[in-house]
Amino acid sequence: MNWSVFRLLYVHEIRLLVRARRTIVLAVVLPALIMPLMLLTSKYSNDQRAQTLTDTTYKFSIVGPLSVRIRGLVEKTREQNPKSSKSFKFAEILTEDPENSLETGDIHFYIRTQTGEGADKITDGPKERLSGVPLITVVYRGNQDISSAGRGRMVELLELARQRDTELALAQHGFTGDPRQLFVISTTNLASGGQVSGLTAGRFITAILVMMMLTGGSVAALDIIAGEKERGTLETLLTTAAGRTEIVAAKQFAISSIALAITLIQALNFFVYIKLNVINLPEGFHLELSSSMALTLLLLFAPLAIMLGSVLLMLSAYAKSYKEAHLYFFPVYLLGLLLSLASLLPGVPLRSAIAIVPIANVSVAAREILVGRPDLPMILLTFLVMLGVAVWLMRTSSQMLSREDIVLPAHAEPAEFLGGRALFGKRVLRWFALMWAVEFAAAANVPYLATLQRQLIFNEVVVLLGASLLMIRLYKLDPRETLSLRGVKPVVWLAILCAIPTANSAAVAVFRLANIFIPVSEELLRGTSEGLIPAGMPQWQLFIFLAVLPAVCEEIAFRGVLMSGLRHRLRPVTLAIVVGLIFGMFHMTLFRIAPTAVLGVALTGIALLTGSIFPGILLHMGNNAWGVWAGQHGFDPDAMKPWQSAAMISIFALSMWIIYRSRVQPETNHKRS
Amino acid sequence: MTSPITVRELSKTFFDEGRGEIRAVNSISFECHEGEVFGLLGANGAGKTTTLRMLSTIITPSSGSAAVLNHDVVTEAEGVRRNLGFYSASTALYPRLTARETIDFFARINQYPAARVDERVNYLIERFGITKYADSRVDRLSSGMKQKVSIARTVAHDPRIVIFDEPTVGLDVLNALEVQESIRQLRTEGKTIIFSTHIMSEAEKLCDRIAIIHGGRILACDTLANLRTSTGEHYLEDIFVHYVKDPSDPVIRK
Repeated sequence: MNWSVFRLLYVHEIRLLVRARRTIVLAVVLPALIMPLMLLTSKYSNDQRAQTLTDTTYKFSIVGPLSVRIRGLVEKTREQNPKSSKSFKFAEILTEDPENSLETGDIHFYIRTQTGEGADKITDGPKERLSGVPLITVVYRGNQDISSAGRGRMVELLELARQRDTELALAQHGFTGDPRQLFVISTTNLASGGQVSGLTAGRFITAILVMMMLTGGSVAALDIIAGEKERGTLETLLTTAAGRTEIVAAKQFAISSIALAITLIQALNFFVYIKLNVINLPEGFHLELSSSMALTLLLLFAPLAIMLGSVLLMLSAYAKSYKEAHLYFFPVYLLGLLLSLASLLPGVPLRSAIAIVPIANVSVAAREILVGRPDLPMILLTFLVMLGVAVWLMRTSSQMLSREDIVLPAHAEPAEFLGGRALFGKRVLRWFALMWAVEFAAAANVPYLATLQRQLIFNEVVVLLGASLLMIRLYKLDPRETLSLRGVKPVVWLAILCAIPTANSAAVAVFRLANIFIPVSEELLRGTSEGLIPAGMPQWQLFIFLAVLPAVCEEIAFRGVLMSGLRHRLRPVTLAIVVGLIFGMFHMTLFRIAPTAVLGVALTGIALLTGSIFPGILLHMGNNAWGVWAGQHGFDPDAMKPWQSAAMISIFALSMWIIYRSRVQPETNHKRS
Repeated sequence: MTSPITVRELSKTFFDEGRGEIRAVNSISFECHEGEVFGLLGANGAGKTTTLRMLSTIITPSSGSAAVLNHDVVTEAEGVRRNLGFYSASTALYPRLTARETIDFFARINQYPAARVDERVNYLIERFGITKYADSRVDRLSSGMKQKVSIARTVAHDPRIVIFDEPTVGLDVLNALEVQESIRQLRTEGKTIIFSTHIMSEAEKLCDRIAIIHGGRILACDTLANLRTSTGEHYLEDIFVHYVKDPSDPVIRK
């Protein structure tokens, strides 16, 4: 690296960015103004709302046979509670058609009274109402703030009136004591006001920051590569004596600087507006942010800024034009935002597997820091994970920008021309992303697929098997080679038979062991051992739908088509991890992703070692059938004693060792095309 | 004395989804002599820009070799670029820099001695007649003014070799003449110039030697006088047509 050239280029990039008005607006002005604006707006709207609701006279009507009694009760209760009468003003309006009056805005709500007899005739009334009990209904419009607020206050008043009526009735029946003195309920909040405010701020701080980093950073990143490509200045730069390394590093550093600047502006905002209380904060909002907490947050946000900068740079480099870069930006933005909202997940602490999920880990860590309960070892792990991902992404983006087809996008890659297997290798991940999206969308939106059988037929047969066969046909692939349809040594079958009853228990045991080093949430552990067994399904159907169908279709899709598409691009260990992770992602339930991914890695490893898809199909089928059997017979792998777990792991490891010893050589494993 | 630019069996293959495999440059060889204007004459898509992009190290050759002042274009790319100025219709200027900042930046990035950069910038501003708008932002300049700034930034680091890739494309007559005049001036300063064009009159006026390139191959390479003798044609246009119609009769004198 020529540092003087790098410095020159970096200053040049920053100068160009600073001179672009939209960069300044989105990367400096907006982040600087957004926090005070949010705080002021929040305070203003809260105050205004409170004022409006206090000043408003709530207009209402009372209709029905019990009108007189309810009116009397309401008035009496208000007289006895002068405090509530002062803060809320009610005015009864007489009307023939209350529904129409509510519609036209003449009243804010009305009270419909019904005698016990009348109410008994209603079929959709409240379930807790006993026969013969009168029914008082407050009818309002939920889409109107004043109507909603008036309804709330009237219901409070009616409940108070009912309580007084109850007390009166009890007194009439000889109960002279005050029922409120049976016991008194009170609550004590051990959290300080600062911690409560910290929870509110902590839930959103990462999401807001990611949103601003992506917005501000994208303007810079899109301009710095895609914009330069479009204007022709990138080619000018490439003809200079500056090396590609320096050019890429300067561009990357410039974008990361913008993201870091946004972070620092937010840190400054926190200091000025929340610590120094420069403006009046919303009532009850007092954030306790010590210097060490602020520094820890900054340490976590710094690699986040570098990471997002690299992602944006790659996106900008990959696009052939500014417009195309904008198209790619949206999904990246959504994904970033989704991960940054992990702090909203209830019951997910940093001391869980979330610590190794980039962005999501920072989000949860920031929440824990701001509520005053920082878990230092896990924060360190989060920092290391983020640093590792940031460095890897920086390297990847540097390598990407050195590619000729990226710099001069007019040239298509050989694969585009050659088609067939070469193009299949490039497109296979897109296919699986599409298949995942189809499964996800169908599960959420097609009621017809609500039953397990239909959903499995759709997911396994239509999507996984159908798309796999379509890919084989479309890219003119050799089915035998793509799906690894080969025989294996007899000893491999023996090993697989030994692995079947131990795989599930071994996975649970491995997770329990891993839990000692990297704590895994209880939900995740339950997800590992929980089966998916619907009640009332015949035994043979259970076997077909939960064992045979997934084993055949998923092995063809993942260990056949997907593995074949990626095997020329990835090394075996990486390949096994990637295929396993994608396999896990297709098991949509959050806490099933990790255990199924582990199973996926093992199955991919077996397919790679044996050079055949068949042992994987048998193990997958056996594992699922065993899970069904264990679930039906109440076998709980969690209840195993340590020595039993150790035995299960040993048998499983022995099976894997046998498969490893019987592995086929990579030369015969697959032919290179 | 070795030639400042030597090209041996240079090829470049691209892949295009619509057209398939394209041999944009197909095993070409030539040399440029010190202080001459060497013309690459060919129709659009003949392979001129690809050849010049390989020489300026923007893209790497698929096969063959090329050297600029004894620096290999693949293994010593930075050495090549330090000694070379590249100008083309597709190389643009930074719109948010002033003319002065542009020349200054390109002088520094091409490692012109730092102590002499200001002097060089002032010299070029005066020489190309851009004093009046030297401190105006490039996006506020007319296309003729931009053209001058562009040539000034190309030679900001005083390179020995200057490549002009179709420099007059899209220019009006007056601006095109100014560019041609700049090329002549650079030749008088002793610079070696490679000049690509599809305009016959430009090649006729400016080039000491001309290589006729068509379909990625060099069909002829000689002085205009020798090309006339070889073909029996007087006008360059007729000479060009002569070779393009009958590519089996190459006349290449290196």
